[in-house]
Amino acid sequence: MSNKGVFLIARNNGHIDYVKQAVFLAKRIKRHLGVPVSVATDSVDYLVDTFGTDDFDKIISLEFTNDTNLRYFFDGSLSKKTASFKNSNRAGVYDLTPYDETIIMDTDYVVSNDLLKNCFESGSDFMIYKESDDIAKVRNEKEFKTISDTSVDFYWATVIYFRKTEANSIFFNLVKHIEQEWNHYRRVYQITSGLFRNDFAFSIAIHIMNGFQPGTFAQQLPGSMMYTVDRDILWNLNNDEMTFLVEKKNYLGEYTALKTSGQTIHVMNKQSLNRMIDQEFANE
Amino acid sequence: MDERLEKALDFSNYMLTLNNQKRLLAQKYQEELIHFYDGSQFTVTRELITFVSAMVSVNQDEVVITDDNNIPCQVEELENFYSEIINKYTTASNDYYSSYLKLKTSRSVEKLVNHEQ
Repeated sequence: MSNKGVFLIARNNGHIDYVKQAVFLAKRIKRHLGVPVSVATDSVDYLVDTFGTDDFDKIISLEFTNDTNLRYFFDGSLSKKTASFKNSNRAGVYDLTPYDETIIMDTDYVVSNDLLKNCFESGSDFMIYKESDDIAKVRNEKEFKTISDTSVDFYWATVIYFRKTEANSIFFNLVKHIEQEWNHYRRVYQITSGLFRNDFAFSIAIHIMNGFQPGTFAQQLPGSMMYTVDRDILWNLNNDEMTFLVEKKNYLGEYTALKTSGQTIHVMNKQSLNRMIDQEFANE
Repeated sequence: MDERLEKALDFSNYMLTLNNQKRLLAQKYQEELIHFYDGSQFTVTRELITFVSAMVSVNQDEVVITDDNNIPCQVEELENFYSEIINKYTTASNDYYSSYLKLKTSRSVEKLVNHEQ
């Protein structure tokens, strides 16, 4: 029987504590999915000294780098910070993971049900989200349908399930190549922003693996990717219930309350997520 | 502000929240209808139930059904599969119904976001 687990990458950038998010998420993964969690981080000492090692199966050390990939991190509509976006190494997970079957997950993906555990029983070797739902439903979701106005389908690199197979080895090596030659590929695929995004690199790689057309290399993960953007605020977190203040359309700084229960949500406002994690850890 | 407009805006805010909560509930229902069998994923629909029921009624023990990803799956012990999808459908639908009723009777934004789903 193959071994299986979830793999997280946590690389702090001076503003966002991804290590803390990884610890928080590891606890939820164990509760809902019942599988071990490993983490790769460039802050092993901080992780071990601050949170201990109990929540992780394996801790893998990454080399510290000062990435120049800068982007805004919003905290609601009216507040933002510029910080480095350390999103490289994603494709390296194929070599780093200790598992034969791996779910790689962003640390801001708040698992609140057991839907994803069915991946491990699936007949598919590679699964990823293509379908997605903005829980606010007031914004144009076009940017998450195709990677540019004139280009190929968008896939979310937020959560990926894969088995170690020859085809997947080729795929992850292809993603590494796309990352290295990003300026070439972003022009070929008509992406106007120079910011490297894993979503784009994985989408391009899937398109190539499918013979440069839509195809079945990647299967859809169970359900759909539900997300809130960083203009929304995670206001309350109580076990599997989350209350959000979601941005009102055309009213900057005004919000509508919205509550989810037992639904896994990609919370892109990392600063509000960290506030909730602080509260939860303080109550433990 | 004119009192009439103020009341209308309050109601508008309530309706916005109500519609959002209804939509989220419907999405959760769709997730809870997903049934996994032998590596395949099936969203349990009335159509699937009717088809499987029809196959069971003509004494079929196994049948090939395409799953949500259009992958064919050989379903064996069809009666067990039928029981499983009926169980999945009724549990998810009953949860949906009771949560929807709670939502319908919540008459303020505060109650809408504080109700137990």
